[in-house]
Amino acid sequence: MMTEKQAIIRINNLHKSFGDLEVLRGVDLEVDKGEVVVILGPSGSGKSTLLRCVNRLEESSGGEIWFEDVEVTGRSVDINHVRERIGMVFQQFNLFPHLTVKGNVMLAQQRVLKRQKAEAARIAIEQLTLVGLSDKVDAYPSQLSGGQQQRVAIARSLAMDPHVMLFDEVTSALDPELVRGVLDVMKLLAKGGMTMMVVTHEMGFAREVADRVVFMDEGVIVEQGTPSEVFDHPTSDRTKDFLGHIA
Amino acid sequence: MDVFMTWWETNALTRLFFSFEVMRDSLPVIFKAFPVSILFGVGSFLTAIPGGLLLAFMKMSRRWWLRWPATLYVDVVRGTPLFLQILIVYFGFTLLPWYGDMVRGNPWVKQPFLFGLDFTFYLRGFAVLSLNSAAYTAEILRAGIQSIARGQMEAARSLGMTMPQSMTFVIIPQTIRRILPTLMSEFILIFKDTALLSGVGIAEMTLRAREFAASTYNQSSYVVAAAFYLVLTIPLGRLVSRLEDRLAESEGGSSGKRPPLTAGNIDSEHVVAHSDLIPLNQRRSGVRP
Repeated sequence: MMTEKQAIIRINNLHKSFGDLEVLRGVDLEVDKGEVVVILGPSGSGKSTLLRCVNRLEESSGGEIWFEDVEVTGRSVDINHVRERIGMVFQQFNLFPHLTVKGNVMLAQQRVLKRQKAEAARIAIEQLTLVGLSDKVDAYPSQLSGGQQQRVAIARSLAMDPHVMLFDEVTSALDPELVRGVLDVMKLLAKGGMTMMVVTHEMGFAREVADRVVFMDEGVIVEQGTPSEVFDHPTSDRTKDFLGHIA
Repeated sequence: MDVFMTWWETNALTRLFFSFEVMRDSLPVIFKAFPVSILFGVGSFLTAIPGGLLLAFMKMSRRWWLRWPATLYVDVVRGTPLFLQILIVYFGFTLLPWYGDMVRGNPWVKQPFLFGLDFTFYLRGFAVLSLNSAAYTAEILRAGIQSIARGQMEAARSLGMTMPQSMTFVIIPQTIRRILPTLMSEFILIFKDTALLSGVGIAEMTLRAREFAASTYNQSSYVVAAAFYLVLTIPLGRLVSRLEDRLAESEGGSSGKRPPLTAGNIDSEHVVAHSDLIPLNQRRSGVRP
């Protein structure tokens, strides 16, 4: 709150262990309002865990996370109220298979935001149109391709009017030809000024859309900067090594 | 024809088990008890579901003082013969001093509304079946709930839904669909188990058949009773198989509504996420008297 920039998420010295395995070993990161932060790193580097700590799907082992003026890691926090304003999209889509596409987007609007059915339906169709699925509102998730399901998942989060969107390897489970449609929607969001934290292996997306690229390895942030700084002039050997393997 | 009938009614085997004469006479008597068996079966099964749900949530709780009693209860009930449980509840409870006082002290309890017996006589039978079935139902429900991919709960919670909301609107509806065949199998089991109540004198089909067999020195009334059980269990069993097939279809691969599988719309996640079907062979061990 008192920082000079408008940080919407502030992560201070975050630690996370699963038993003896220390996955995060002191991460400091601030995300400004409207900023798109892309987090890169080899698998097992802790990027997904970091993201999942932000909306407390994982309990941190130490350090703190602030979202706007609330300490997410605090004991007395109303976590459901925090999660209303933090959208999250998963690698495995996690659509509710017993509900239609529209039902998926309406459920939390009605139950959490207490919107009336008609309003929730209107917003659902609006968001589904935005992600290019206005013709699929009455379909069931199992009738859609993976790419379409993922776009429904994005619409489902957007319908809650989130202040931040977290994307956890959202294209990793997709066939190559379906990746583009999902990335296009994410670019659209970024252009619209959405604050985003994106864990991905899509280097092209990172280069084109990110305001800042963060490279993580072994539970710490190794290097960060603008895409051209990190991609074209990496300073750390670990970053160079990682980018060398990807390219 | 007459020759055949004479042979049929005098031959040792057919006479003893399939006598048309005895079957004809016992049919109305056993048919009258058919609703009694159905009532005990349906009633105890329906009340077992909320009990089973409670036990299932207790067993899944992170709090040991909820988890331990539920685990103990389920283990004890599933690990002992139902007939033994019936005997304990029937004859044990009536020996409690306050139980006798309660029955004597309350004219409405004592009200002899069926065959001159107080209604707790029936209630006890109903309760013991229900308490027994709750333990089995708890395990079915728990397995069903835990078979729903973890991502479903995470997605619901990350949208800001509370734990009870996520359970009610996301997890339970999917669970019900998935465990329906297993639950129906449990009903078939409990319906057949009502026969054990004949051991304590509840006038359901098996007791009526036994009385008839005793008075005629003939076993054919048992065959009639068996036929009445089958009238319900065979169609239900078929339905269970149909539901299982439909479930496998809608969860595993192509249902009618699904577009044809092409490289473009195969979603391997769906297949993987639902391959963890609950075991449908969760049947109780054959503890029969």
